[in-house]
Amino acid sequence: MAGCTIFPAQTGVKLTLPGHAAMIAPMRSRVACAALCAAALACNAGLQPTTGCSGICGTVTYQGSLPDSLQDSTAAVFIVAFATFPQSPSDLLLFEAVAFVDTGGPPRRYVLEVPNGTYEWVLAVWEKKSHIGLSAQNADSLLREVGFYRNPADATPQGTGRVHVTDAGADSINFAIDFTNMHRICDYFPPCPP
Amino acid sequence: MRAPLLACLAIVPGVAAAAQSTAVLYGSVTDTLGQPLRGVVRVVGTGAMAAADSRGRYRLSVPTGRVIVRVGHIGFAYRVDTVTIAAGDSLERDYRLVSAPVELQPTIVTAAKHSQLLDESATSVAVMNDTDLARRAVLTVDEAVNRAPGVLFLNGQVNIRGSSGFVEGLGSRVLLLVDGVPANQGDRGGIDWDMVPLAEVERVEVVKGAGSSLYGSAAFGGVVNLITHDTPVGWHGRLRATGGAYANPPSEAWRFRDRTGGLGGLDVTGSYGTETLRGSLTLGGRHSDGYREQDRSDQWETAGRAEWLPRPGTRITGSGAWTSHQYEVFPTWCVPGACSDTRGQAFQPFMIDTSGRGSYTRSNKGYLAATLDRAVSGAFAWRARGSWLRSHFTDYNPDNWSVSDRLGAELTGVLHVAGEDDRVVTVGVEGAHTDITSDIFGDSGRVGSHTQIDVGPYAEAEQRVGRVRLTAGLRLDDIVVDGARKATVLSPRIGAAIRSGGGTWRASAGRGFRAPTLAERYVTTRAFGFEVIPNPDLDPETAWSFELGNGAPIASWGRLEAALFWTEARRLLEPTFVLDGGVQKIQIRNISRARLRGLDASLAVSSLVPGLTSSIAYLLVDARDLTTDAVLSFRPRHVLTLGTDYQWRMLSVGAEFRYTSRIERIELEPVFGRDPRVPARVLDLRAGWQRGPLSARLLVTNALNYIYNLVPRTLEPVRTVSVVLTWTY
Repeated sequence: MAGCTIFPAQTGVKLTLPGHAAMIAPMRSRVACAALCAAALACNAGLQPTTGCSGICGTVTYQGSLPDSLQDSTAAVFIVAFATFPQSPSDLLLFEAVAFVDTGGPPRRYVLEVPNGTYEWVLAVWEKKSHIGLSAQNADSLLREVGFYRNPADATPQGTGRVHVTDAGADSINFAIDFTNMHRICDYFPPCPP
Repeated sequence: MRAPLLACLAIVPGVAAAAQSTAVLYGSVTDTLGQPLRGVVRVVGTGAMAAADSRGRYRLSVPTGRVIVRVGHIGFAYRVDTVTIAAGDSLERDYRLVSAPVELQPTIVTAAKHSQLLDESATSVAVMNDTDLARRAVLTVDEAVNRAPGVLFLNGQVNIRGSSGFVEGLGSRVLLLVDGVPANQGDRGGIDWDMVPLAEVERVEVVKGAGSSLYGSAAFGGVVNLITHDTPVGWHGRLRATGGAYANPPSEAWRFRDRTGGLGGLDVTGSYGTETLRGSLTLGGRHSDGYREQDRSDQWETAGRAEWLPRPGTRITGSGAWTSHQYEVFPTWCVPGACSDTRGQAFQPFMIDTSGRGSYTRSNKGYLAATLDRAVSGAFAWRARGSWLRSHFTDYNPDNWSVSDRLGAELTGVLHVAGEDDRVVTVGVEGAHTDITSDIFGDSGRVGSHTQIDVGPYAEAEQRVGRVRLTAGLRLDDIVVDGARKATVLSPRIGAAIRSGGGTWRASAGRGFRAPTLAERYVTTRAFGFEVIPNPDLDPETAWSFELGNGAPIASWGRLEAALFWTEARRLLEPTFVLDGGVQKIQIRNISRARLRGLDASLAVSSLVPGLTSSIAYLLVDARDLTTDAVLSFRPRHVLTLGTDYQWRMLSVGAEFRYTSRIERIELEPVFGRDPRVPARVLDLRAGWQRGPLSARLLVTNALNYIYNLVPRTLEPVRTVSVVLTWTY
């Protein structure tokens, strides 16, 4: 099934020319050759290497390593963006695009392929393995915020992580992932259960 | 009488010869340049006929006395010869055919489930014979089908006039037949193009438009029939070796390995035949390093065929093929953050997304088929067949597997009323029992089994009224799946072919449908981070397909085929996001209504210069998703194919160019919508040399190393140079 992508992984009759078509044959041949040559010359485009940014791009660095106790229970670490800061736990499922990243190692570039617009929160999330699907009800037990983008030009105590995405993308949205400073959902939507 | 005779001969070739083996006519069929042709040699007024082999040699048992022999080959004028031969004698006659391709049109067997001339079909049919396949030096069946007018492949998924789009590997809206035996996978409904070695294929017929009135499910957008070689009399053999190399990425920034990737293969075919018993066997293997990271593949294949002609008018055929294919899988190319490439590229089409690292598939598939053909008289013939199709895949990362077995049977009778071609009635019934066991299509993520039973009686009548040939047919399919509700689908078709001074006009209207595959109903997995949940109660997707076309010779130098088509599709199956218990999941549902309309035209021309042929084919598709009033995804609007070939003595050269306009819309836009997409402009070059039993062909596909993709994050093949050496005995 990996070969199939979703889940997981001439022309009619050939013609040759009898004698009485002599007058037009050379012309047709020239036209055919010219068409092929023109077609060939048109083929110098195609996909090209580019270092541009499409959507939200940046680099994540790692501060602190993933605790040994979480190694086996980690389902994924990913970066998401919210157009509007979540107002309730159920809003947490309304994120735009996902970019999966490693649980450690050297700084890594990421790309969040989001539509143009403003995004109020770009963050990294650690997800715990689970046999049941993610929902607003179990988000607090399965997800941890492990870092988010903060605009370095904003020196206010609260800061802002607002990102404006244009056709040129929004690059250098860099931030750190800190596994020693993981935050629960209830830290944002208190109270935390005992 | 010609057409009925052709019809019977197509069903039981060689039968009459077996009955009247009192003298032997033998010799060769070549073109004016001396190149061998697989021409057909017939004795007029009898059923005796023989097809020349790849060296142009034929051997034919003929009635004694004075007989008229007619020799033909597609693309060449008939040659008629009068021969007098005594009982027990053998006589050598060599025939050189002159190019006059508009004179002889192909005989086809797919459009009406019996033999007919191309101009008698009410629907469009594209034919690629063995000459086309050899000239193009293609190595695989999908390469042979691709480039046909109106056909486009999207990452291995065949589209006829935009029928399938790209449905993420599940289901095909085109039915594959091997000698008339349905061969779509039992579980996923897709097509394993590697199941039959190309060496076995003599001709490919592509019937365009809905064909469910004769073929039932999956013939939603058309039918592709692979017709394998008849086994010639005597000993014959062929050895073919292939070698080649893939170009490296055109930019150093995309370089992903320190060496050049290669490909190679070897296949051998042996056959022996007498007038009553014939058999052939093909063995082969291929290896490819692939043109991108994690793209290696190894394939072993075998195919065989045995024929027994116990008495005049009776032929019993057994055939089969088995392929074992192990290949690395390249799920999607990588972007920053999910790529081991650290050179800062916005995307790296030659390297995989790290989440797909280690993806690998072992795929075994094959079929066995037995057919009994019986021509009771010049007016009536019937055929019975049984088949077993098996596919078994095992995936690694993600790990899953599936085994499917499809047992099929069909009984068909063809009556030429009063032995004439003016009125033909085809009646039959087809049934299939499909059983799958899988952990991904099983029981909610656990290993489970499912069964599907299809039964479809059908009838079609053709009546000639003056210059008009009318066709009307109907098929009733019952589909029963465990754990799901029964589906009954009625698929009518009417059509007309009208011969006039302006060629042959065709008009048809028919219904096509595709029953949901067991995979679509029961898939349970994760994709793109979301859970995919089953939906057993899916309904068949249906379509009404209309066509108005014309096929006409242009003076003596060309032939134009053009058709306007219009398809109205309902309840198309698509993966969609659903909310299940407050959680976003993916489920396949009957969602979309769609309209596909356009123009499918091709022009084949020749010139005064002997050996020079050219062709142009154009497909315009206006595809709309009527549910969202948007362009239908994965349907390029324009596909243009230009080709030209020149042959001089033993040498031939050719070129083919295909332009596919940029795909305007894709599925999963939120995930892949910002990925770059470009039109496809692909130039293939070829050259050949043939002398006696030896031939060499050079093929350079994508000669300009144009880098492009047709489906998200999946790079199409780069420039590939291959050489094919063939020795034929």
